[in-house]
Amino acid sequence: MSDLDDFKATYFDECSELLTELEEQFVAIEAGERDADRLNAVFRAIHSVKGGAGAFGFSALVGFAHAYETLLDYVRDGRIELTDEVVTLCIRANDIVTDHVAAARSGEALPADYGMDEKNRFDALARGDAAEDDAAGEPDEEFDIEFVPVMVNIGGNDDDFPEIDDTFEALPMAGESGHWEVHFTPHRALYARANDPLLLFRELAVLGEMTTKAVLEEIPPLSDFEPFAVYCSWEITLVSETLTEAMIREVFEFVEGDCDIAIAQLGVGTPPTAEVKAALVHPATPSAPAMAPINLLELADDEVAHLLEFDIEQAAPAKAKADVAPVAVAVVEAKAEDAPGLSFADIADSIKPTPVAKAPLAPKVVIAPAAAPETAPGEEGERRSLGVQSIRVDLDKVDRVVNMVGELVITQSMLTQQMDETLRTRYTELVRGLEVLAQTTRGLQDSVMAIRAQPVKSVFSRMPRLVRELGLKTAKKIKLETVGENTEIDKTVIEQLSDPLTHMIRNSADHGIESPEKRLAAGKPETGTIRLSAEQAGGNILIIVEDDGAGINRDRVLQVARDKGIVAPDITPTEEQIDQLIFAPGFSTAEAVSDLSGRGVGMDVVLSNIKKIGGSVHVRSWTGRGTRMTLRLPLTLAVLDVMLVKVGDSPYVVPLSSIVETIQCSRANFERVPSGGQVLQVRGEYVQVIDLAQRFAMTTTTEPENRFVVLCEAEGSAKVALVVDDIIGQQQVVIKSLEENFERVEGIAGGTILGDGNVALIVDVQSLKTSIIHKNAA
Amino acid sequence: MTALRVLTVDDSRTILAMLHHTLSNAGFEVLQAEDGQQGLDVLKTQTVDVVITDINMPIMDGIEFIKNVRATGNHQSLPILILTTETSQDKRDQGKAAGGTGWIVKPFDPEKLISVIHRVVH
Repeated sequence: MSDLDDFKATYFDECSELLTELEEQFVAIEAGERDADRLNAVFRAIHSVKGGAGAFGFSALVGFAHAYETLLDYVRDGRIELTDEVVTLCIRANDIVTDHVAAARSGEALPADYGMDEKNRFDALARGDAAEDDAAGEPDEEFDIEFVPVMVNIGGNDDDFPEIDDTFEALPMAGESGHWEVHFTPHRALYARANDPLLLFRELAVLGEMTTKAVLEEIPPLSDFEPFAVYCSWEITLVSETLTEAMIREVFEFVEGDCDIAIAQLGVGTPPTAEVKAALVHPATPSAPAMAPINLLELADDEVAHLLEFDIEQAAPAKAKADVAPVAVAVVEAKAEDAPGLSFADIADSIKPTPVAKAPLAPKVVIAPAAAPETAPGEEGERRSLGVQSIRVDLDKVDRVVNMVGELVITQSMLTQQMDETLRTRYTELVRGLEVLAQTTRGLQDSVMAIRAQPVKSVFSRMPRLVRELGLKTAKKIKLETVGENTEIDKTVIEQLSDPLTHMIRNSADHGIESPEKRLAAGKPETGTIRLSAEQAGGNILIIVEDDGAGINRDRVLQVARDKGIVAPDITPTEEQIDQLIFAPGFSTAEAVSDLSGRGVGMDVVLSNIKKIGGSVHVRSWTGRGTRMTLRLPLTLAVLDVMLVKVGDSPYVVPLSSIVETIQCSRANFERVPSGGQVLQVRGEYVQVIDLAQRFAMTTTTEPENRFVVLCEAEGSAKVALVVDDIIGQQQVVIKSLEENFERVEGIAGGTILGDGNVALIVDVQSLKTSIIHKNAA
Repeated sequence: MTALRVLTVDDSRTILAMLHHTLSNAGFEVLQAEDGQQGLDVLKTQTVDVVITDINMPIMDGIEFIKNVRATGNHQSLPILILTTETSQDKRDQGKAAGGTGWIVKPFDPEKLISVIHRVVH
């Protein structure tokens, strides 16, 4: 059934959100934040997982979640203390719930005893601290209760209700000719909870042949009438062969405690008890009230209601049968005690006319709804009223919009490009229109990108858990600090972020942070800190993983790099260059392969993953003080602000975010270095020069002094000067992957289609810079 | 005759979706809210015939929600059904004390859900 599949999909979506939330809550709980709000949130999450699981019959999940929930409930109300041990157990339980959910999703069965140890621990804990609970009955209870809704099937057979408590004077001869008398006296509370005798009678009528008699003797004269008092009771007879007391009681299920009910069977050979008999023969009190009931009934519908300014429509459509009509207005102060087994006589005694005070009329109840539908029929009202603050949209649909906006951006920039000077002066209106179009396009694009943006929290929240595990496995003391988790970034980027981050944090925990002894010996705090932060820097998001460990062992790294031929023997890289080597393909310090980091992949995987999403990685290390790894990620994947340049005859684009400044070559301070290369001196700093024409093997006819230097900043503030033939201008481009359409090219981050239909390649500044080392080494 | 309007209040999307499916198939008009506060907001502008509410919810739980509804001018006679998986009687009693009209035990059987609604709605 496809509906069911839809519900399941919704459920699993919801589960993953709930489980993420659980994880977050436990991070805080572990950190000592054990307030009620948090515990409630945890309880709710498990409760919701269980609720849905019950609906789909995932019984293993329900069973486990129920035991866990019980534990949480006890923790919540203080019956069980939330010790570290319990927290650890709960974290383990979260995993088991996650596994159960995954199993339910994939349809694979987990071993029958999966999670049984933990479940037993829950039960033991629950038993230990809550002895009065029938813990032994618990495992059965969960299934009974979860899968057998307590509701009655009206008119159904009594097998559904096998264990109705018969403390009442029910006569155990259900099959026999059933003639039942029910005396029903509602209390005020019954009305206060929006129950309505009329509805009860409607339901009773289904059970058998019914006659009702309203007992109206208690109704006082109108002058003494109290609007919220209850003056009415009813005598009902029901005749049915199959009727049982349980079935009658079932009808009154919701109002139990809010009324007096006496049920008696007048079956064959079953003489009614003396009281019942007395009550039955009790004649209607002849001492007639000042106003005959019938008069009140006539008034009931409009006049009384009007008099009392009682909103009949809201109060319960009282335009019902005359027999019942007074209900709407006759509500009595009643005896609160629940009196099962009361005889009619007792009941009659218990209903005393309420002494009448000159009570003011009821407050005006007829209040127009704050915004009646006809006054606010608009969309906005509708939306707000439905409590919808967000909608869920298929990512594909968003992507389609993103792509179309991308194309729109290109078209718009193409139009702008087509405007030459002549046109500009001739068609000023058109120019203005194009400017507005450019602005609007930009705004549209920002808005669309914002839809895809999500806080990095969703990834960050998984890390505390990782650090905790790493700490346990390495026997190191590590704490994780996170900063800037609300920084927003494109959803696709976020999805790609988890693996690299995991790897980087593993690396920090495994190689960075030292053992507690070493740390103490080095005069550092015993507990190492890994700091995970996110911030926006211009058009980029920086994600930084920082540790206060030992720093990179550069001698060792360089040694390995030379051994593996990554760095040629005659090259002496700078310290910074050595640090970057840990990301080099094929670099993995063999001795460091451990249970944690050494999973067959090195840090080069981090680099290639990050590159795939248009980002870059930079590492910086301080011996004995720690290491900082910086991921620089694009805010969005789709559109890039670029500077369009010319190299030879071909257009290239350089991401604007990496450009520091541009300089005419004629004014630039080039200097030769002994190795034959060129450097550029900019404000006292020597910057490596890369001639793009040379680098990409293009022929250039431009005079050297007419060329330009585009000064770019790569990771870690390292600058590089790109020499190009001409600067054409700035624009936005939609990135097209070169890898998907062609193949990966060193130094090129991708391609794009320009407004005039030409293809331009996007220069990858970072990889141009780093490739220098490899190139020289080769 | 216009369809009966039901306000469903639950923080679980799954439950909301299932209620919606069951109720709209049975010809009800269904409004949704994800917590008690949202439920109250809906009731400020909409008239409904019956409310079905969960108990455990963030921001404002079902008990508070019911109390608030009952304390509001013209909602004294609005039937409110408590949706609960609680195995114990506690929550149900609390819900009733707050002014709940009746209850539905999750997971609910569609037919029974409808019959319970008809039990409290005219």
